[in-house]
Amino acid sequence: MSQKRGFLNHIRPHGVSEKAMSFGYTFCLGGVSFLAFIVLGLTGILLMFHYLPGAKSGYASVTTLASVIPFGGLIRNLHFWAGQVMVVSVSLHMVRVVRTKSYRPPKEWNWLVGMSLLVLTLVLDFTGYLLRGSQESGAAAAVAVHILTLLPGIGRPLAQMFLGEVSAANSSTLMVYVWHCVALPFLALWLQMFHFWKIRKDGGVRPL
Amino acid sequence: MARDWTRRDVLKMGKGALVAAGLLSLYPLTRYLGSREDAVASPIISFKGELKKGAPWQNIPQTRVWLRRVSGGYQAILATCTHLGCEVRYYPEQREWRCPCHGSVYDEDGRPIRGPAPLPLPRVAVQPAGNGSLRIDTSRKLN
Ligand code: HEM
Ligand code: FES
Repeated sequence: MSQKRGFLNHIRPHGVSEKAMSFGYTFCLGGVSFLAFIVLGLTGILLMFHYLPGAKSGYASVTTLASVIPFGGLIRNLHFWAGQVMVVSVSLHMVRVVRTKSYRPPKEWNWLVGMSLLVLTLVLDFTGYLLRGSQESGAAAAVAVHILTLLPGIGRPLAQMFLGEVSAANSSTLMVYVWHCVALPFLALWLQMFHFWKIRKDGGVRPL
Repeated sequence: MARDWTRRDVLKMGKGALVAAGLLSLYPLTRYLGSREDAVASPIISFKGELKKGAPWQNIPQTRVWLRRVSGGYQAILATCTHLGCEVRYYPEQREWRCPCHGSVYDEDGRPIRGPAPLPLPRVAVQPAGNGSLRIDTSRKLN
C-alpha cells in the first residue's frame, strides 16, 4: 500500500481488493448519486442564466424558460429529474450500507458524512422546489416555516437564515436562491470529495 | 476479421463518444444561451383601429393589453392575473374576466370577485398619439 496521503493518489489507487470490485456489493448507488449530482450542477448553472428569483419573477422566469427559450424545457427537465433520481439513489445507497454493515469501524466517519449528504440532498431538493415559485411552492414554504418555528428558541432564527422572508405568496426569495444555487451545492461537493477520499483510506470499493 | 479488443481500445472509444457528445451539445447550448426571448420588451405599445364607445374590452393581438372607450376617453388594462400571473380573458356575455389557472374571476372593471386573486387587474396609461393611434405605456401603472 502506498503511504501517499494526497487526494488524487486515493482516487486512482495502486490496488483495490477483489471483493470491493464486485457490482453486487454496491450496486454502484453512490456512483449513480454522484452522476446525478454532476448533471444537477451543469444543468443548474445553465438554469441560472435565465432564472430570476423573486415574488414577481420566479414563477414567470421558470415558465418562460420552460416554454419559449430554445432547449430550456430539456434543461429544466434534466435538472428536475436528476434531482428526483438523486434523492432515490442516495436513499438506496444508505440502505445498501446498512445491509453490508459498512457503517462499522473503520468506516464510521463515512457513515456520518453520508448522513450529512442525505440531509443536504433532501434540503437541496426542497429548496429547488421552492425556487419554482408556484402556488404549491408557496404552500410548502409556509409549512416549512411553521415546522421550523416549532423548535423552541432557535426555530425562528433558523427559518430566517435558511428561507428569508418566505410566505405562501412568495417562496422564491434571494435567501433560498443563494442557498440552493451556491452554498449548499458547494458544501455537498466538498463533502463528496471527502467521502471518496475516505472510501480509499478505508479500503475502497469499485473505483469510479 | 477477428479483432482483440483491449481495455485501451474500449477506453478510446469511450473518449471518442465523450468528444462527440460534447460537440453535439454545442448547438443546443448556443441556442439556449443566445436566446433573447426573455429580454425586456419595450413597454410602449401602439394601437391603430376603431374603438366604439360602450363596446366591450378589446384585445390588442400578441399583447396582454385590452382597451375600451369610455365617456372621458380611453382605458387600458393588463390581462395578467394578480394571483400568479396567468393570462386572463374577458368574457363579454358574462361581463367578467376569468383566469384559467386557479379560477380567479374579476368584474368588468377588473376588480376581483372570486378565487385567489388578491388585487384588481392593473390599469396602465393610454393616450392618443396624434396620428389617430393610441399609445399605451405598460410600465406606467395607474393602480
Ligand atoms: C449543484 C448545483 C445546483 C444548481 C446551480 C441548481 C440550480 C437550480 C435553479 C436555478 C433552479 C430553478 C429553476 C427551476 O425551478 O427549474 C433549480 C430548481 C430545482 N432544483 Fe436545483 N440546483 C443545483 C442542485 C440541485 C440538487 C443537488 C437537487 C436535488 C437533489 C436539486 C433539485 C432541484 C429541484 C427539484 C428544482 C425544481 C425544478 C422544477 O421546478 O422543475 N438541485 N435548481
Ligand atoms: S394565476 Fe390566476 S387564479 Fe392563479
